[in-house]
Amino acid sequence: MLVAGVDVGSTQTKAIILNENGETVARGMVNTGANVVKAAEKAFQLARQSAKLDEWDVAYIVGTGYGRYKVPFGDTQITEISCHARGAAYLFPNTRTILDIGGQDTKGIRTNDKGEVVDFCMNDKCAAGTGRFLAAAAEVMGISLDELGDVALRANPEQDGVLRITNVCTVFVETEIMNHLSKGRKAEQILAGVHQSIAARSVSLLRRVGLNPEITFTGGVSRNKGMVAALQEKMGMQINVGPDSQFIGAIGAALFALERAKARHEGEPTAKELQA
Amino acid sequence: MTFEEQIQHFRGIVDDVSFPTVKEWKSKHPGGKVVGMFPVYTPYELPHALGMLPVGLLGAGGKIEIDHADSRIQSFVCSIARSTLELGLTDRVKDFDAVYFTSICDVARNLSGIWKANFPHQLVEYIHFPQNMESPSAVHHYRGEMQRLLGNLEQLGGKKATADALVRSIEAFNHNRSLCWRLYEIRQLTPWKLSTYEAYILLRMGTLLPVEEHTHILEGIIPLVDSRETKQRDHTRVILEGSFCEQPPMELLQVIEEAGCYIVNDDLLLHSRWFTDPVPANGDPLLSLAESYIRGSVSSSVRHYGLRSRKQALMNKVRSGQADGVIFCAPKFCEPALLDYVLFKDELEKNGIPYLAFEYEEKMGVFESIRTQIEAFVESVMFFT
Amino acid sequence: MSESKFKYQGVGREYQKKLLTAWNDRLQSAESEGRKVAYLFVPGNVAEFLRVFDFELVFPEVNALQCGVRKISGDYILKAEDVGYSPDVCGYVKNDIGMMLAGNVGPSGHKIPKPDLLLCTYCGCTTFIKWFEALAHYYDVPLVMLDIPYLRGSVIEETDRQYIVQQLKELIPLCEKMTGNKYDHDKLVEITKHAAEAEDLWVQILHSAKRKPSPFDSYFEAVFFMAPIYILRGLPECTDYYREAMKEIQERIEHGVGPIPEEKFRVVVEGPPPWPHFRSFWELLKRWGVCAVASSYSKVGGFWDHGFRHDPTRPLESIADYCLTCYTNQNLAMRTDLLKTYAEEYDADAILIHSVKSCRSFSVGQADMREQFIRKWDLPTLLVESDLADPRYFQIAQLRNRIDAFFESLEHKRLVHA
Repeated sequence: MLVAGVDVGSTQTKAIILNENGETVARGMVNTGANVVKAAEKAFQLARQSAKLDEWDVAYIVGTGYGRYKVPFGDTQITEISCHARGAAYLFPNTRTILDIGGQDTKGIRTNDKGEVVDFCMNDKCAAGTGRFLAAAAEVMGISLDELGDVALRANPEQDGVLRITNVCTVFVETEIMNHLSKGRKAEQILAGVHQSIAARSVSLLRRVGLNPEITFTGGVSRNKGMVAALQEKMGMQINVGPDSQFIGAIGAALFALERAKARHEGEPTAKELQA
Repeated sequence: MTFEEQIQHFRGIVDDVSFPTVKEWKSKHPGGKVVGMFPVYTPYELPHALGMLPVGLLGAGGKIEIDHADSRIQSFVCSIARSTLELGLTDRVKDFDAVYFTSICDVARNLSGIWKANFPHQLVEYIHFPQNMESPSAVHHYRGEMQRLLGNLEQLGGKKATADALVRSIEAFNHNRSLCWRLYEIRQLTPWKLSTYEAYILLRMGTLLPVEEHTHILEGIIPLVDSRETKQRDHTRVILEGSFCEQPPMELLQVIEEAGCYIVNDDLLLHSRWFTDPVPANGDPLLSLAESYIRGSVSSSVRHYGLRSRKQALMNKVRSGQADGVIFCAPKFCEPALLDYVLFKDELEKNGIPYLAFEYEEKMGVFESIRTQIEAFVESVMFFT
Repeated sequence: MSESKFKYQGVGREYQKKLLTAWNDRLQSAESEGRKVAYLFVPGNVAEFLRVFDFELVFPEVNALQCGVRKISGDYILKAEDVGYSPDVCGYVKNDIGMMLAGNVGPSGHKIPKPDLLLCTYCGCTTFIKWFEALAHYYDVPLVMLDIPYLRGSVIEETDRQYIVQQLKELIPLCEKMTGNKYDHDKLVEITKHAAEAEDLWVQILHSAKRKPSPFDSYFEAVFFMAPIYILRGLPECTDYYREAMKEIQERIEHGVGPIPEEKFRVVVEGPPPWPHFRSFWELLKRWGVCAVASSYSKVGGFWDHGFRHDPTRPLESIADYCLTCYTNQNLAMRTDLLKTYAEEYDADAILIHSVKSCRSFSVGQADMREQFIRKWDLPTLLVESDLADPRYFQIAQLRNRIDAFFESLEHKRLVHA
C-alpha cells in the first residue's frame, strides 16, 4: 500500500509518497506559482513519475500547507502545523521544538514525546524573518538564493566588525542594504547581518512556545547553511536539520495518510478495488 | 575635563544599559533601595525622602535585541514598552527594588500587570494620576495615592518618611529643576551655545544619578556653557513635540540640528521640568505635590488638561520661543502623541504655523529619509514664509 | 426540526430591534423637542445618573461597532486617516471621526444628534480621553471627565469609591443647568431598581451557558444580547427585554437546542470581536463545533455575573462600584484570574484570545496571559489577531490555519486519551 502527502506552500509545493512501512518511495517538488491546483497536481505527478507509479497505486492522500484546500485529489486536509510536528518527530524522534521558516511565514511548534502538537505560534502577518526577507536581500545584492548562506558564512567579524540590520520591513531592508553597500561594507558582512536578523526574530518567536531541545529546523530556508549557523549561535545549541528538512511537512502529511489508510483498510474498499 | 569631554563621558553612561550608576550607588549604600519608573510626572520626591534612589526607565534605546519580550507583549506597541520589558526579562534591572508604572497611557498601565506577573520579587506599583482637573476631590485622591506609595516604600526600606525629609526632597528637586529650566533658557536665547543633543545628555543624566550629584554637575557646567564661543548659524527655530516618553535616538536629534534647525523648546525628558513653578516646600508636602501636579504642571499628550490648554500651550511654546515651525516627532504606535497630532496640526494651520511630522523608533539606525524631509521643511520655511 | 414549534426563537433579536429603533427615533426628535443629548462610553456608563435629568444617551462605541457589522467602517476609517489620523491608532476613534466628518449619519441611516454634553469616563482606557477631546474639538461642546481609578488591588478601595461619588455630586449643578431638571434622589432610586432587575435576568442568561450543551453562545450571541443592558439600563423596557430574551433561552433548554447543531468544544473567549468580519469568524469556529460558554467582552460595560448589582439603597456608591469593576478597569491579574475561573465554572476545554490591534487596553498583556494559561495551568490557549473595526487586518487564510491547527490537536488529544 502506498500513501502520499502534498504540502502546498506559498513558494514551493512538495509531494512525498511512502510505503506501508513509512519509507519514502518517491518525492517531487515544483514552484507553487499562481495556479495552486496545477502546482499540487504537478508535484504529485513528478513524484509518481520518478517511481513509475499510477495514480491508482496511491491509496490515501493528505493535503497540507496554506493551499491544502486546493488539492482536489486529496482525501483530506490537515494543517501544516500538525504535519510538521509529525514529520519532524519521525525524522528526529527527540524533537520537542520545531522551527519552520517558509517562504512567507514562520512557525514555532512545541511537541511532546509522541510528536503531538502541544502549542504553536506563527508570524503570519508580515514577511520579515521569512524566506522572503532572504529573497529580497539576494535580489538587491545580485547573489543567488543558494549562495546566500555560504557568503554569509565567510564573514569575518574580528576583521570587519559586526553589522546590524535594523529594518524589520522586507521592502525597506533593500534600501538599508543598498546604503551599506554604498558605504563600502562587504557583502559577507551584510549578509551575516541579514541572517542574524532573521535568527533573532525566529528565536524571539520560538520563545513563545519555549526553546526546548531538541530543536528541529524545517522549511525551505533550512537548506541555507548560513541560517543554520546563525540560529545555532543565537540559541546556543545544535539544531536538527537533514536533507529532507524541506519535505517534513509532506512527510508528516503522508504519515497521517498512512494512519488513515490503515484505519480505513479495516472497513472500506480502496480506490483501486473500486476501479477493478 | 572640558565641556565636550564631559558630554562624551556622560554619553557613555547614558548608553550603558547595565545601569552602572545604579550599581555604583548600591555599592556605596549597602541596603539602599532603588526605585525605577517611567519618568513622566512620577513623584521622584517620595523615594528620595526615604534615602532611596529614583531612576528613570527609558527603555533600552535599541541597544538590545527584543528577544524575550515579544512573547509577552504584542508587536504593535511602542518600543519603549517592549525594550523596558526586555531589560526586565534579561535581568538587567533585577537590582531595582521597586518599579512604578502610571496612568499615562494604556500600554504603560497594562505593563504594570505584565511586570507584576513576571517579577514577583520586586515591589510593583501602579499610580493613578487624576484626570479630572476640575474636581476639587482630585487633589485629595492623588494625595491619598502618594500616601499609599509612601507607606509601601516605608515597609520596603524599614524606616518612616518625615514631613521634614519630604520638604527637603521637594527643595532639592525644585533647585534641580530650576537649573534644567536654565538650560532651556540658554537654548531659547542663544541656541548656538548649547545643542539639543548636549542639553539632552545633561538632562538624561538626571534620570540616572542622585539629584544632588546631578545638581552639582549642572552647577559646574552652566557657566561653561554660558562662556562658550560657538558660531551662531542662520537656522530655523523649531519646537519639537511628541517625544515625551519613548525617546528618539540621540542621532536623530543631531540629524534635526544638522539639517538646519535650532530646537528652541521640546518635550524631551519632561521629568526635569514638569512643574512650571517651584513646588511649595511648606505645610503638607504631599498636598503640595498633588496640587502642583493638578494646577502647576506642563501640559503634555499623556494627561487631560482641558483640551484648549494643550493646544494653547503649544501655541504659547511657539510664540515664546519665537519659533518658525513645529516638528512633530512621535514614536511609532504612540497613541497619545498620534491622536493629539491631528488637533495640534489643526491649531497650527489656523495660525499659519508651518509644521512637519514623522515617526521614529528608539532602535532606528538609518536617518536619510528623515534628514531629507527636514531639509525640505527648512527650505520651505526659509523660502516661502 | 420545524420553526413552528418554537414560540420564542428570534425574540432576542427582534424585540431588541424594536427597542433600539424606538431609541433612535427619540434621538431624532431630541433637538426639536429641547431634550439634551449626552455622549458617553459603554465602560463606566453612568446611565442611571444621567437618566435622572432625562438626558438622551448616545454611545459612540455602539455606533462604531454597528458600522463594523454593516461593513461601512472601512470608509470612515480612511476618511479619518485622510485628515491625519495614523493607521496605528484605535479604529473605533477613526470610525467615529470619519462618520462625523461625513455628516454624522449613523449606521442605521439616521442622523445622530450632536452632543450637548460629552461625559468622558476614564474607565480603563486612556484612548477614551483622546476620543472625546477630539469630539470636543470638532463640536465645540463641554467635555466633562469622570475619573475612574484603575483597580490597583483586587478589592475596591473606599477612597476610590468616594472619589467617584464626589465627582458625580459635583456634576449635578451642570446637569441641572443644562437640562432644566432638578436632581431627584427618589427618581435615582427608582431607576436603580429597574437596573438591578434587568441585571438579575441578564446574569441568568449568562449562567445558562454552564449547561452542557450550552443553549447560548456567550460570545457571538452575548455581544448582541448585551446591548440593552448598556443602552437602555434603568428603563422598564430593559427589564421587559431580558424577561423575553430569557424565554427564548428557556425554550432552547427545554428543546435541547443551542447555537450550533453539535457542541464539540467549549471555549472561553477573551477580547472584542472582529466586527467587520463577525460572521466569517464565527463560521471558522462553528466548523469545529465550538461554542463560547463565557467571554470577557460581554462584561466590558459591566460585571454582574459574580454577584454585583446596582443597589437602590446606596445608588451613587453602587454606581461608583459598577464603574470600578467594568472589565477593562480590572488589572491584568484580575482579568487572568477571571478567565481561568470561567474556564472552571463553565467547564471549558480551551481559551480563545482574539487580540485586536486597535485596542491596547485589551491587547497589551494578552500574550503574557497566554503564557500563564499554558505554562502555569495547562489550559490550552489559542491567540489569534485581527482588529475590531478596521476590515483590513482580518486575514482569513491565516486565521483559519491557526484555528484549524488548534482544534485539530485538541481533537486528536481527545481521541488518543479517550
